[in-house]
Amino acid sequence: MKTIVYVSPFVPQEWIAAHGLQPSRVLLEQTKRVAVSQPSAGVCPFARAFVAFALSVTDAAAIVATTECDQMRRAAELLAGESNAPLFLLNVPTTWQTTTAHRLYTSELERLSAFMIRLGGKAPTKEKLVDVMLRYDTLREEIRGARGSLSGRAYSEAISRFHRDGAADLPASRAAPSSRGVPLALLGGPLTGEHFRIFDLIEEAGGQVVLDGTETGERTLPRAFDRRRVHEDPFPELADAYFGAIPDAFRRPNSQLYHWLKGEVARRGIRGIILRRYLWCDTWHAEVQRMKEWSPAPVLDLDAGDDDCESRAASRIQSFVGMLR
Amino acid sequence: MNNYPRRITLQEWDARYVQLREAGMREPPYGGTLRRHVEEGDLRLRTLLFDNSSAALRLWNFLLTEEDRLREARTAGKKIVGTMKDLGTVPVMAYALPNVVAFYPDGAWWIPCVMELSEGLFGIADSLGIDEAFCPVRAMLGAFITEAHFPVPDLLICSAGATCDDFSAIAQRLNGLGYPIVWWEIPHRRIPDPDEERVELPGGFAAPASQVAFVREELERLRTVLEQFAGVPLNDGALSAGIARANEVRRLLAELRQLTFTAELCPLPALEMLIAEMLAIHFCSDQAETIEVLRELLREVRGRIEARRGVLEADAVRVFWVNPVADLQVMNLLEDCGGRICGTEYLFSHALDEIPENLPPMEALARMALADPMVGSAADRAVRICADVQRFGAEAVLISRIPGASHCATEGIIIAEAVRSRLRIPVLEIEVPPLSDSIKPTLRTRLEALIETSKELRKACCVPE
Repeated sequence: MKTIVYVSPFVPQEWIAAHGLQPSRVLLEQTKRVAVSQPSAGVCPFARAFVAFALSVTDAAAIVATTECDQMRRAAELLAGESNAPLFLLNVPTTWQTTTAHRLYTSELERLSAFMIRLGGKAPTKEKLVDVMLRYDTLREEIRGARGSLSGRAYSEAISRFHRDGAADLPASRAAPSSRGVPLALLGGPLTGEHFRIFDLIEEAGGQVVLDGTETGERTLPRAFDRRRVHEDPFPELADAYFGAIPDAFRRPNSQLYHWLKGEVARRGIRGIILRRYLWCDTWHAEVQRMKEWSPAPVLDLDAGDDDCESRAASRIQSFVGMLR
Repeated sequence: MNNYPRRITLQEWDARYVQLREAGMREPPYGGTLRRHVEEGDLRLRTLLFDNSSAALRLWNFLLTEEDRLREARTAGKKIVGTMKDLGTVPVMAYALPNVVAFYPDGAWWIPCVMELSEGLFGIADSLGIDEAFCPVRAMLGAFITEAHFPVPDLLICSAGATCDDFSAIAQRLNGLGYPIVWWEIPHRRIPDPDEERVELPGGFAAPASQVAFVREELERLRTVLEQFAGVPLNDGALSAGIARANEVRRLLAELRQLTFTAELCPLPALEMLIAEMLAIHFCSDQAETIEVLRELLREVRGRIEARRGVLEADAVRVFWVNPVADLQVMNLLEDCGGRICGTEYLFSHALDEIPENLPPMEALARMALADPMVGSAADRAVRICADVQRFGAEAVLISRIPGASHCATEGIIIAEAVRSRLRIPVLEIEVPPLSDSIKPTLRTRLEALIETSKELRKACCVPE
């Protein structure tokens, strides 16, 4: 089966699968380097990792890039004509409170559909789309249900595997994680494969991640589908579950993110927030101070450059968790 | 009185002003010496070189008294709209209303330069978590907080979507501080698919008809917002009249650019041309006066060309400038190094192109908004830059990076490669902070190298085979 790869949570897995193609939201590797001339100063490390990935990928039928931020929009431009697989740039509006913004998003999904059909995909029937949506919804429900029985890292890795493979690949042996750690939220942009180590650093420092609010984690799971609406008219329900529900810092206004976080902080008894952001990511960087002013719990600002210095991060996390204990 | 055109210092302007007054120069109400602006805090003027014409004096005075105009407008009961980021579209709509004044708070990005950091705006931005990793437009945050540089607008409208991350993040920070913002979406302009209806845009770009329709809907939404805000209808007739007035400004600027950039001898310095171009985006808060200021500049330029007089050496290298500089002094520096500006792309070329008047007004404005060079790809932008380089006969291209700006991280490589491969002329990329004094020697060396290289190439082209 042909695989479509992407990194954005606003590319619905179901939409690709319903076209008879394999969706794969990949986990990038920041350490991957390619021998091409790329600018470095001012470029977000994640955007650079995306470019490196796209230039080296060999087993994908196409790459879908998105426009959530200027850096990723321009990263896609650097790839034009250079990537090994055809590239599709999906326009994800930053505004979300208007019907025009929702219409733009759905029209972009329709344009993606035409692109996938050109690649050999098949336009989904209503029945096919309903079937795929319900299947994925059930898998997500299963994953969400495992949250309390997995460590923070295991849970986030399970979500990441689901994004990549479309399967609820949960560890066979589950033991309720220790509840002795200080409950923390991890917030920010996407993690790369190497960055899952941060969960260990937090645990080693005496904390535990009870909310993965990174772009890789549970924050960007679409909301559960309204099954009645799925049966009635699946496509609008699909678009709304993603575009209408995923909170993010890039959205204008981004009040949805704070609304979501407020609820989760209260529900999960979170005592501290670690905001992890990439160097040159203006979107998350600008939220740090606001988050500190807004948050009922202390906030640690953790920036990540090209070559993450683990000892520095560990030391800061230790101090932060130590203060909360 | 010696009226030979040249660039003069602030000190020289003191004497020049007296001479001009004695010679009968008449000034608008905002007229006066340039020196008084220094006394009010615009310290950078002490280090700049200015054109010595009365037309240039009027231009500078017009620019540096905008804050007074905005406050007078408020006192007179007019409503003030802060239009943010789109650089040229929404003000055309706002100025179509009788009781509304629009301006770009974004323009605060030059305050730290003009006031040589004495105003403390960056410090305020720092305290709000917007540090030097962001573009100098972060000064805008401080200007909102202090209310010392412009009155806080009654309404804020900001474009989002295909914009730079810096501005979007800073505007969101402003919103988070309690300033309500009406957001509107400008999508990333893409090349139409083969089976899509294609619409030609002002400036030579193209977009799918569906994108134009989307932007038109967004602008219709803003029309309703503005109508409710102003309390009067903004009908198509008023909009068409507003477009016609904006086009008058654009036509004057087009002629000014064409004459100045193609004249044998440079008739007007780079700095005055930069300011003149800036008037297009929101008319410096007075559309009618903008037209008069530009007319006077145009008369001066025509006269100088006719008299075969210029402000720079005849062999000055013709340079095309990409992106505005955070430190105005660098425009002087290029000329000191033997260059002259022959073509510009200061991020708002869509505000210079005429808006189609043979279309329904909202359709015309939507096409203009989508022609923004920043909402499309850098490759698209490079195509336009190459075309304009050829049109104005530039011999080199200078790309000025804006510190921290998200688009500057990658666009320079794309534009430079396009220029080199298509036109085979030298390209230099520099980064200019709001105050460049500490790196001036380095900048000078790099600019001199560009000028020398261009002159060598010029010689090589002239050697008979």
